[in-house]
Amino acid sequence: MPQSPSLAASAPPPLFRLFVGRSEFALLVALLVIIAFFSLASGTFLTVRNMTNVLGQASLAMTAGIGVAIVFISGEVDVSVGSLVAAVAIPLVTIMNMTESLALGVAGALALGLVVGAVNGYLAAYAGINSLIVTLGTLFILRGGVYLYTGQTAIPDDAMLESFFQIGNGRILDVLPIPAAIAFVLLLVFAYVLRHRPFGRQVYAVGGSPEVARLAGYDVRRIKFTCFIISALLATVAGILLASRLGSAVHVAGLGFEFQVVAAVVLGGVSLSGGVGSLFGMALGVLILSFLSNGLGMLDLATEWQLVITGFIIIAAVGFDEVKRQRR
Amino acid sequence: MTSETLPARRPGLLVGALADKSQVVLIGLLVILCVAISVAAPQFYSVDNTIAILRQCALVLIVAVGMTMLLIAGEVDLSVGASLAFTGCVAMDVTNRTHSVTLGALAALAFAAAVGLFNGLVVTRLRINSLIATIATMMILQGSVYLYTREAVQNKHQLDAFTAIGAGYVGPIPIPVILAAVIFVLGYVALRFTLFGRYLYAVGANQKAARLSGLRAERLKVIAFVITGLCVGVAGLVLCSLMNAGQPTAGRGFELTVIAAVILGGTSLAGGRGTLVGTLLGVLLLKVIDNGIIILRWNQDLQMVVPGIVIVLATWLDIIRRKADAR
Repeated sequence: MPQSPSLAASAPPPLFRLFVGRSEFALLVALLVIIAFFSLASGTFLTVRNMTNVLGQASLAMTAGIGVAIVFISGEVDVSVGSLVAAVAIPLVTIMNMTESLALGVAGALALGLVVGAVNGYLAAYAGINSLIVTLGTLFILRGGVYLYTGQTAIPDDAMLESFFQIGNGRILDVLPIPAAIAFVLLLVFAYVLRHRPFGRQVYAVGGSPEVARLAGYDVRRIKFTCFIISALLATVAGILLASRLGSAVHVAGLGFEFQVVAAVVLGGVSLSGGVGSLFGMALGVLILSFLSNGLGMLDLATEWQLVITGFIIIAAVGFDEVKRQRR
Repeated sequence: MTSETLPARRPGLLVGALADKSQVVLIGLLVILCVAISVAAPQFYSVDNTIAILRQCALVLIVAVGMTMLLIAGEVDLSVGASLAFTGCVAMDVTNRTHSVTLGALAALAFAAAVGLFNGLVVTRLRINSLIATIATMMILQGSVYLYTREAVQNKHQLDAFTAIGAGYVGPIPIPVILAAVIFVLGYVALRFTLFGRYLYAVGANQKAARLSGLRAERLKVIAFVITGLCVGVAGLVLCSLMNAGQPTAGRGFELTVIAAVILGGTSLAGGRGTLVGTLLGVLLLKVIDNGIIILRWNQDLQMVVPGIVIVLATWLDIIRRKADAR
């Protein structure tokens, strides 16, 4: 990795943890163990069909997780994604029903996402309000707004566009789900930006130590603002994929999604205190939780057991990582 | 960056002067709201409605007292909603089996305290960030409550004493309000006048410094988690008694309401800062809004939108006020 020395040299202390080393390695091992275990336990787990299904299911949390991880790395929090995925489906489906155009619908959804991201970013970065409060506020406001607008029912997709159906349910070469491909491309793009572009370094610097970053001449507020916009736009993409899978704008879509994403992001080694973590760690966190839930489902365990076991595994995984870090 | 330098500049006055000022905004908002709603709907300003508001406040306030302590110590508990539902089921089930309200109540308290202890140990021993640890506990509790009971546990013997906890009155005052008041006063005294309270502020403000000066930071945090658990136990009992059944689905989103109220009251998420008086105002504000929406016959879905706006607005106003103060 030729780029790591220059990175470490130009950045504040927390950056040296960035290397794709120990933390991500442990996650990878955990993921492989989970896959191996369920392959032995269930005959239908290790099939191409099931594996690609899991990737398709994971793609929503993965897409939104990229944005949430970036916000976390910049030292802020974004929990509004759970409501945003439901909210963006409304302009999407409404506009598609009116115009029969997927592009216009997507543009409408992205516009709403942009507004929400700008509001979150302005209040958190420029007005200086704690970002958990801000995004908790938008979480409530958006969900309430969705209920108000829809009257607590789903808005059906009357346009029935094939292209809209495909983005959530289609498969490339009949194998790889399109949402998974979208999530993977976005992951690569943003991982590249975070590790190799100036903006990425600035995000780590701002999250690691805002004071140092400010003294180094970075516009801390603008960088944090941009992170919130990115997060909202990526949650919008996740919302579009979800709407396509559900085939309508569902008012209760994404309830608790924010917990799922935050759990995966933190499990992936992204620190809540900022400046630490990588998108690959986040991706592994998402995959671990997705394969776990899929595998437990295959064992004919009640969904309740899935929740219980997932909870314990999060504690075990994060706890193991922390204990190991202290020993070093 | 006034907000960052403030707590460091006068750590000794945390409990006193600083807190009183930050509550000006809340009191102002509360007064404006009450006047506005009273003008629009005179029945708001009646004894019956006041008692109704207080009763609705009680449940949130009971848990918010523990949550305030926990946030002051620098930790957070997102599992309170799930724990609330589970506690209610345990209380009802044990009461049904033993025919004794006392045993049911004790079981509820013991269960909720055990959840708090578990959270505390996971956070302090395994050193997991409490946000993620208690999300995990939330999942575990939400799953296991269904393994415990698929449907609501009904009050089989129809014990009057059990119903009284949530629905009873002493004179004109509902019992939950009295419970909340007692817990609030206990918490207030503990935070303000005892060493334990001071230590909590110290640990939350700077754990390393607190430990170096000989405080057992971990133990204090575990105690704060257990106290939160006990508060959840009381609240679970009240809720279960109000519904006359243990509902496994109760308490969804309750954790967010509690945390919103506490933060609205000026308690810092970073630890070391906050007061119970602020929390009380936060709870009152949220519940007056809820009540106003019902009384004015507005769409109930606004009960999510308006508090969201108020939380952000109140915090913003507080920041503006603090900046003006610093100048």
